[in-house]
Amino acid sequence: MRLLFPPLRGLLLAALPVALLVASNAHAVPSFARQTGQNCVACHAGGQFPELTPYGRMFKLTGYTIGQRTLPLSVMAVVNANKVKVDDPADKTTTGALTFATASVFLAGKISDNIGAFTQVTFDTTPNIGTFSGRSHPDNMDIRYADRLIDDNSDLIYGLMLNNNPGVQDVFHSVPAWGPATVPGSTGAGAGAAPILDGGLGQQAAGIGAYAYWNRTLYAEITGYKTGDGVFSILTHGNGGQTYIKGTNPYVRLALTKEWGPHNVMLGLTHFDVRQYSDQTDLTSPTDHYRDNGIDAQYQYLLDPYTVTATVARIHENIDYAAGNSDTVNSLRAKASFTYQAKYGATLSYFSLTNTLGEESKGWTPEVFWTPLQNVRLGLQYTLFNKDQAGANPNARDNNTLFFYVWGAY
Amino acid sequence: MKTVSITLALLLAAFGAGCSTTAERSRNLADPSVSGKTLALQVCSNCHGVDGNSVNPNFPKLSGQQKEYFVAQMKEFKGHDRLDPEGFEYMWGISRSLTEKQIDELASYFSQQKNNPDQAGDTLTQRESAGKFVFEQGVAARNIPPCSTCHGAEAAGNGTFPRLAGQHADYIVKQLNVFQRTDERPEGAIMKVIAHDLTSGNIENVAAYLSSHTTK
Repeated sequence: MRLLFPPLRGLLLAALPVALLVASNAHAVPSFARQTGQNCVACHAGGQFPELTPYGRMFKLTGYTIGQRTLPLSVMAVVNANKVKVDDPADKTTTGALTFATASVFLAGKISDNIGAFTQVTFDTTPNIGTFSGRSHPDNMDIRYADRLIDDNSDLIYGLMLNNNPGVQDVFHSVPAWGPATVPGSTGAGAGAAPILDGGLGQQAAGIGAYAYWNRTLYAEITGYKTGDGVFSILTHGNGGQTYIKGTNPYVRLALTKEWGPHNVMLGLTHFDVRQYSDQTDLTSPTDHYRDNGIDAQYQYLLDPYTVTATVARIHENIDYAAGNSDTVNSLRAKASFTYQAKYGATLSYFSLTNTLGEESKGWTPEVFWTPLQNVRLGLQYTLFNKDQAGANPNARDNNTLFFYVWGAY
Repeated sequence: MKTVSITLALLLAAFGAGCSTTAERSRNLADPSVSGKTLALQVCSNCHGVDGNSVNPNFPKLSGQQKEYFVAQMKEFKGHDRLDPEGFEYMWGISRSLTEKQIDELASYFSQQKNNPDQAGDTLTQRESAGKFVFEQGVAARNIPPCSTCHGAEAAGNGTFPRLAGQHADYIVKQLNVFQRTDERPEGAIMKVIAHDLTSGNIENVAAYLSSHTTK
């Protein structure tokens, strides 16, 4: 390890003052935890943010309104290092150098008995990697109105929401917005073509939707996404260029859920239909038509001191380009994670992204992590590429990446 | 940008004012006007079930629980006197601003719910039979008194002695270990003495018996 990844030593030393700072205030937790007064494990499986427990899902679905109003302010920062097997000399992020990656400020919490918000503004150093120079921009945002009609015989949660990333409103971690590679800066799925549902409109669109969750069994949602401009530019402004889509583009989500004993499962379907202008500088140009159909599932086992979360998601995308040609993109992602005592954990992820143009990226990412304090996590990932057609190196395995991170939130 | 912010703020304020829930459907844990029953349905039910029969054994069943025991535990949580992880991780925060009236209403609500045991078979398994023996007879060789002395012949509890019938086996095992190995539940100091010499087998057996036991 010493020879392979010497920057780790420095990073651990760099992380120590942060850990001590956090440790000096044992009650220092992000704003949702302050609002409920609960430990992170109440909402996050094994404390493994962002993966939600059934209670965490209910907290989100009821509009982040459980608890009592407190200062709705939190911060998060990530320090990381990437070491690519054969690094690109021009790319400072691949050499294993310690890097301040991102820092975020969250305005998140209960606004009224019905309204709550999760809004994140992120500062990152792209493209000035390795420096503290960067830019701030809106990150994930989800603002909700929710109500719950519940009695001895029935339970109906329903609500309205505004968000800026298709899927970020979901409470399951099989959707791309919350799936694998959610640690800021982690390697991800390489250079394969991803469906538009997989981050293609993240922080570029504004969606207004309605949802209902009936008897903790059936979840249904429909959201319409528009270009995040005009009044909605507050959700997208500063993200380095705007993606323009035509009109209102429907996102439909259905999920069946079941809990028994320490187990819970979900089976879901997603449909997303997007028309994106073929010429982004001409809003009268014909559109490229994306139709994404996804099927996903999640299994979770929660019984102290253990948690297991396993997800699998398949997205099939048909694209009809304005130019007359077409493409098909297939994405398969799976992830299984395990935690013990909400301190020690391991994850194994698989990804496969392919399209009919022959671009493909396939591989595995094992990870181990340690959560010494409930709001600090240290992790080590290694991504093994079996295929990475459009990657920096023609030989996929040369893109294999070791990734270390310290992720803290306050 | 300023106009955008003002517009959004006004929209949000109008929305909030026009669509605000009444106290009958509030999830506000710091509003004394919200009834205990409302909080039971809107908040507690997420983990403990609408009728107090929780699904996940991480969370104890509250159905049919003794009112006095329930109130005492909520005060232990609120006063940060109960230190076991299940207590402070979840319940310190939930209880911190509840009024005595709300706690009393919560206790009434859950005490009136019907308990559903985990798996009530017609005949006892070998493990359940062994647990029944400990529950009813104790372990004389190690001076362990019968559990039924305080918790009642049917394990329905009595005042500040909790109902154990129909409780999740995993929860009973964990709490007996808390009593036996730690000082994290000072209000249950009497249980530290009683649980001291229980073997892990005794604990597993009695938990199996109680989780499947239903009161008549």
